[in-house]
Amino acid sequence: MVKKEVIEELKRIVGDNDVLTSKEALRAYSYDGTTNWIKEPDVVVFPKDSQQISEILKIANKEKIPVTPRGGGTNVSGGSVPWFGGIVLCTTKMNRILKIDKENLTCTVEAGVVLQDLNNALAKEGLFFPPDPQSFLGATIGGIVAENAGGPACVKYGVTKQYVLGLEVVLPTGEIVNLGGRTLKNVAGYDLIHLFISSEGTLGVISKAELKVNPIPPSKKTIIALYDDVAMAGETVYRVLENGVIPGKIELLDNWVINRIEEMMPLGLPKDAEAMLLFECDGIEEAVQKETEKVVEISKKYGAKDVRVAKDADEANRYWTARRAGFAAVFGKAKTVLSEDVTVPRGKIPDLIRRSQEIAKKYGLELVILGHAGDGNLHPSFLTDVENKEHYEKATKAMEEIIYAAVDLGGVLSGEHGIGLEKQKFFSRVTDPKVVNLMKNIKALLDPNGIMNPGKIWE
Amino acid sequence: MEKHVIEKIEKIVGKENVLKSYEERKCYSFDARAQGAIPDLVVFPLSSFHVSEVLRIANEYKFPVVPRGQGSGVTGGAVPTSGGVVMVFTKMNRIKEIDKENLIAIVEPGVITYDLQEEVKKYGLFYPPDPASHRYSTIGGNVAECAGGPNSLKYGVTRDYVLGLEVVLPTGEIMRTGVRTMKGVVGYDLTRLFVGSEGTLCVITEITLKLIPLPESKATILAFFREVEDAAVCVSKIIAERIVPAVMEFMDKASIICIERANPIGVPENTGALLLIEVDGDRASVRSQVEKIVSVLKEKGVSEFRVTYDPIEAENLWLARRTLSQATYNLNPIKIAEDVVVPRSKIPVLIRKLEELSGRLGIPILSFGHAGDGNFHVSIMIKDEPQDFKKAEEAVREIFRETLRLKGTISGEHGIGILKADYIDMELSQEALSVMAKIKKLFDPNNILNPGKIFPKHILSG
Ligand SMILES: Cc1cc2nc3c(=O)[nH]c(=O)nc-3n(C[C@H](O)[C@H](O)[C@H](O)COP(=O)(O)OP(=O)(O)OC[C@H]3O[C@@H](n4cnc5c(N)ncnc54)[C@H](O)[C@@H]3O)c2cc1C
Ligand SMILES: Cc1cc2nc3c(=O)[nH]c(=O)nc-3n(C[C@H](O)[C@H](O)[C@H](O)COP(=O)(O)OP(=O)(O)OC[C@H]3O[C@@H](n4cnc5c(N)ncnc54)[C@H](O)[C@@H]3O)c2cc1C
Repeated sequence: MVKKEVIEELKRIVGDNDVLTSKEALRAYSYDGTTNWIKEPDVVVFPKDSQQISEILKIANKEKIPVTPRGGGTNVSGGSVPWFGGIVLCTTKMNRILKIDKENLTCTVEAGVVLQDLNNALAKEGLFFPPDPQSFLGATIGGIVAENAGGPACVKYGVTKQYVLGLEVVLPTGEIVNLGGRTLKNVAGYDLIHLFISSEGTLGVISKAELKVNPIPPSKKTIIALYDDVAMAGETVYRVLENGVIPGKIELLDNWVINRIEEMMPLGLPKDAEAMLLFECDGIEEAVQKETEKVVEISKKYGAKDVRVAKDADEANRYWTARRAGFAAVFGKAKTVLSEDVTVPRGKIPDLIRRSQEIAKKYGLELVILGHAGDGNLHPSFLTDVENKEHYEKATKAMEEIIYAAVDLGGVLSGEHGIGLEKQKFFSRVTDPKVVNLMKNIKALLDPNGIMNPGKIWE
Repeated sequence: MEKHVIEKIEKIVGKENVLKSYEERKCYSFDARAQGAIPDLVVFPLSSFHVSEVLRIANEYKFPVVPRGQGSGVTGGAVPTSGGVVMVFTKMNRIKEIDKENLIAIVEPGVITYDLQEEVKKYGLFYPPDPASHRYSTIGGNVAECAGGPNSLKYGVTRDYVLGLEVVLPTGEIMRTGVRTMKGVVGYDLTRLFVGSEGTLCVITEITLKLIPLPESKATILAFFREVEDAAVCVSKIIAERIVPAVMEFMDKASIICIERANPIGVPENTGALLLIEVDGDRASVRSQVEKIVSVLKEKGVSEFRVTYDPIEAENLWLARRTLSQATYNLNPIKIAEDVVVPRSKIPVLIRKLEELSGRLGIPILSFGHAGDGNFHVSIMIKDEPQDFKKAEEAVREIFRETLRLKGTISGEHGIGILKADYIDMELSQEALSVMAKIKKLFDPNNILNPGKIFPKHILSG
């Protein structure tokens, strides 16, 4: 329990209106994008700048109260669930875009800026922020940086860590530290920026970020390729890359997802197709034209039964909206969804798909596969129900086998969603204990009282 | 170093992999720019096991160990500050694997950058980071410094290509970090903490690198301008046109004069700046990029330019840039070299400042570099005289102050080493430095791995 005096103190720092303690409010901040991890905080605070964050952390550090940073709460690994109660520090009121520097292709933003808002502002200048988590309507820059989020565009453009030039962070002990800067290169001292990226709110609170942005490519084309065999689609992915074409996006959707899309927003996709690849080529017009031709040719060569090139932006948009709806559908169609985030070397995508299918068959489960195939990142999912104990246990076991299969293929257990609460037990099993130990030591060094987002990453 | 310690080390790596004579040891007391102390012993490990065993002994007897690739560093990173062992990686130079399907290479740290680039080319692949020293620098050294090069604007720096590492911690533990996949978020990003740590947090013994497909073709453009501002406007305009050239090298007036004297390339009269631009990609897109760039150049007042699609001809256009570094020594025997970065739009401000400084102090200051990412190599050329050193010191401080005022950094790719350690607190706050120093202590409690680097003296002792 957080003492009354502390709550008063928090009110003094951020103002009465920005401290929530009502039952409903605490409930609203007790979960994130995962639905199976729930824990209420004692209090929710909305700081407005790094100075306020610093004061909040100083008190928490003195009183040893857990602090869980939270942006949009969209993450799917339990990262922003306050597992030991205490304070939820929500950044949504720090949502100013401070600067867009068109000439240097950078922008300065507060941590609570929602990605969609940033991209809307950037678009007016002909710019965009390439990492594109599909939760862009709610995800904040702070959460995106803390998870090192990715998305479809990361095949070509790379993930969040490639776009962070500088950070302002508040350490658990209250110091405000500026790291990096505004330039594309910087090797002055240790690379602490990257220590904070993907640290899942366990090392400090990110208050501001200096980001690299790109000009919107002048031309784009969307291509879909349909297959009778998911693994063949998987093979096409790395054959395309091997042939020197790096499309802007390559997404994979399986039969289950195709059918959900056809139910929700009919696109005339063959319902018997086992898999679909969705490509986007972008860049200079001539190059896009040529890449598109190559993608079509290679897809056919490796077994696509039907390949279509979107005629115009409208048609292309329909496909991409369907892709997002498809992922949302996975979560909407069952009480509980086990959705993983494994990533394998791209040449192993067909193997991972085959092994996952075998595992699903062995347990008699229906498997859904979709994901950012272009970088080897797939989200195999099982639809289940926590309350149906027998089914849930089967699904959990099968998922474990898939995770180990991915690791066995040279992969990792999370490509972009983080460890949070959800993947801890696998994390400690597949990670060298020396490495875990080192990470824990770094954590202890920055957060001697263990107040920052305790209970995450490791058990 | 005591005899029995030397014998222990010899037993680990073999007598043939240890150098003891004074002459031999002396060769390892300097890098491309700095002179350090003479090491007690030079050791060539052949495996991570060797590295680990030597580090364990170092911890026991508390002597420094300094990792070294080819010693082409320019900030003194690979030179001892107080004896001990220099650990040289030139015998761990195998390319262990090139995985064409997954676009990955696995290499030992002593592989020469150019050798890797040539080898992957055979597979139609490309390892982009291209420090100008690529013919002799090692991948280990590149990773430890986070080296960049002319093509960083389009392709990024070494960091962007390191997927995973095998490292030996100062205390001797061998461990792996990172992944073999394109993405992975599994705990803290130790890999990136190690990249650019200048051999002070760990010894790198194996590197997993990302490769990309080799671009089909390229074109090279050499353009001359009357004024720096014109060149800078072109750089911004080209990027605003959504073209990302692989290379955009800039040279100021002082550099051009220096080249023209040493190695005339036919620079038009009254040239105040030069840009060397390269675009790559498939043939069609290269042609269209060249057309767009040429129209920008004409519109923005280029005084003369040359274009070629022929690789041999391109070498001629590169000649000026490649010979410049050497030619600077015709001006004065000693070079104080800086490696500042400013936001691209501030390039003209920085260049004018350098001109002003050079005039005021009466010493040649040249600058050339990677205009695309705002990274400039500033050469302050002086005579071996005390007053010149004083002037150079003043110039350096002023250049750093101006760079930081323009929201830049004092080192883009060369690292801090010993030569810049005294300046680092101009850029980094006490808080940031203190976190870094704590991390150093955590990894290396006895301060045996490459001591005396990066941090100003008072930081680590305090
Ligand atoms: C439908 C859907 C689709 C998704 N698609 C993708 C996708 O394509 N790619 C992808 O990578 N992810 C995806 N996600 C996951 C999620 O959106 C991302 O992890 C996102 O980065 C989280 O941002 P957020 O602002 O919601 O952060 P939150 O969920 O609030 O927090 C995430 C983590 O970051 C920490 N944190 C938040 N703000 C800060 C801060 N200012 N300082 C320090 N730590 C902080 C939290 O403590 C927590 O550990 C998806 C989620 C959903 C629901
Ligand atoms: C003419 C010239 C041009 C140059 N151009 C560029 C350029 O364009 N871009 C650029 O970035 N740099 C450039 N440099 C600087 C230099 O070449 C780079 O810093 C290069 O990365 C150093 O590689 P090396 O193998 O020579 O390393 P060394 O000089 O031997 O060592 C450099 C640092 O790395 C550490 N180190 C080396 N190997 C290991 C290892 N296995 N494990 C841990 N630490 C290790 C050392 O301790 C030291 O701190 C240039 C240098 C010269 C002389």
